[in-house]
Amino acid sequence: MFKKSLAIAATLIGMNAVAEEVTITGTVASKCVVVTDTVGIYGNPTPSELSTATADGGVEPIVRFDVLQASFYKARITYPISFSESPALTDVVNWTGNVSVAEVTDASMSAYDTSKIEFDNVTEVDLTVAGSTWFKVESTADYGATKAFPAGTYRAVVSADCIAL
Amino acid sequence: MLACSSYCYSEEVFDVTQNAAAAGLNWTMQNVLPKQAGLTVSNVIYRYTTVKQTEDDMIVYVQNQNAQDTGFVFRETDDWSGIPGNTINKVVPVGNIPGELWGDGSIEVKGFGEVTNPAVFYSFQFDPCFDPQSNPSCPGYKDPFDMMLEAIDVYDPLDDQYVQDELNRKASLKDEDEELRQQRRAMAEGKKENRLEAVLSIVNTALLTAEAQAQAAELIAMNFIPKSYYQAIPDNKYEEKVVLDGGNIPDNRNGRRVGLAQQLLHDQMVDSQYNKENK
Repeated sequence: MFKKSLAIAATLIGMNAVAEEVTITGTVASKCVVVTDTVGIYGNPTPSELSTATADGGVEPIVRFDVLQASFYKARITYPISFSESPALTDVVNWTGNVSVAEVTDASMSAYDTSKIEFDNVTEVDLTVAGSTWFKVESTADYGATKAFPAGTYRAVVSADCIAL
Repeated sequence: MLACSSYCYSEEVFDVTQNAAAAGLNWTMQNVLPKQAGLTVSNVIYRYTTVKQTEDDMIVYVQNQNAQDTGFVFRETDDWSGIPGNTINKVVPVGNIPGELWGDGSIEVKGFGEVTNPAVFYSFQFDPCFDPQSNPSCPGYKDPFDMMLEAIDVYDPLDDQYVQDELNRKASLKDEDEELRQQRRAMAEGKKENRLEAVLSIVNTALLTAEAQAQAAELIAMNFIPKSYYQAIPDNKYEEKVVLDGGNIPDNRNGRRVGLAQQLLHDQMVDSQYNKENK
């Protein structure tokens, strides 16, 4: 019995001596890149309105999605529904906006405008073609019932995300 | 930096052309690409906007003809059929196609729709020292004068086989002529010697008898040899010995008198015809 115990102990010692841990390291680089192409500017066509439309003296922000691999990602773009910076506002601001394809590197990307999904202030587009797509964002803010915006600086944020499918 | 130290002056130049489609949907490449030896085009970058109805079929070709063959050296197709019009911004790598192959370019539309705001650019590269003679600082540059000397192929006609054959033929003819001439000369000298011997022998023997003298004279008469054959003509130089005294040669008064008399006689002859009419 003693001998058996020794034998088991020796076997256990031997097994511990040969154990080894091997590390595997991998890095995943995103195959989807989001780049700000043009920074937006609000125009002030009337005292109660801020607009990025060119006709209103504004500049529409443009964001570019570079996709190296087709059909692996979707673009999620949200137009603003609040100011990130503004003077104190005492009335309601009505927000409207739109996201559309501005430029493409492949003609078939133009179909994103018809295949996009819109809900609330969010636009989602499945990026089914490899290449770059420029999305422009329209944003309009109407203050109260034709009430003048207080003087000051107004900032709003457009959010653009590349989400893996 | 180390690699640059010895080859900076021959580094490749990378550049992009002006908008080839600035003047319209057709353009001539001669006015677009610089005329540089060894130039290659690496990318075509184009941008245009399509104006169309979503449901319409529309295909746009951005293309360049092959300048040295039929067909196209570059042709990119954008199919806008069934999708909304938009602006396309495309970079197409073409893999360093030599500049001389790039023929006239165009944007061609098939179907329904319109292309607006076209812009086409070509990114190119070239080695400024592709032709080492383009710049004295290029590696492999040779002095043009030395090159000219190398380029001149000195032709020695004497190396030509036909000329050599002809010269040999003439030389052999000359040798033959010389031999013939020598033979003739030898024969002539032999005859002369024979004549002289004959004459001398005749003279010697003719002195013996009157009859012999007559015979000798007859023989000499038959074999007349000019003196110039025996006597050398002196080759002295005859200097001018007349010296003009004072250097002035006066008019001959007698001659003047004669000339005057002739003039008078001439006048009389001319006047005589009028005198005859007056009479």
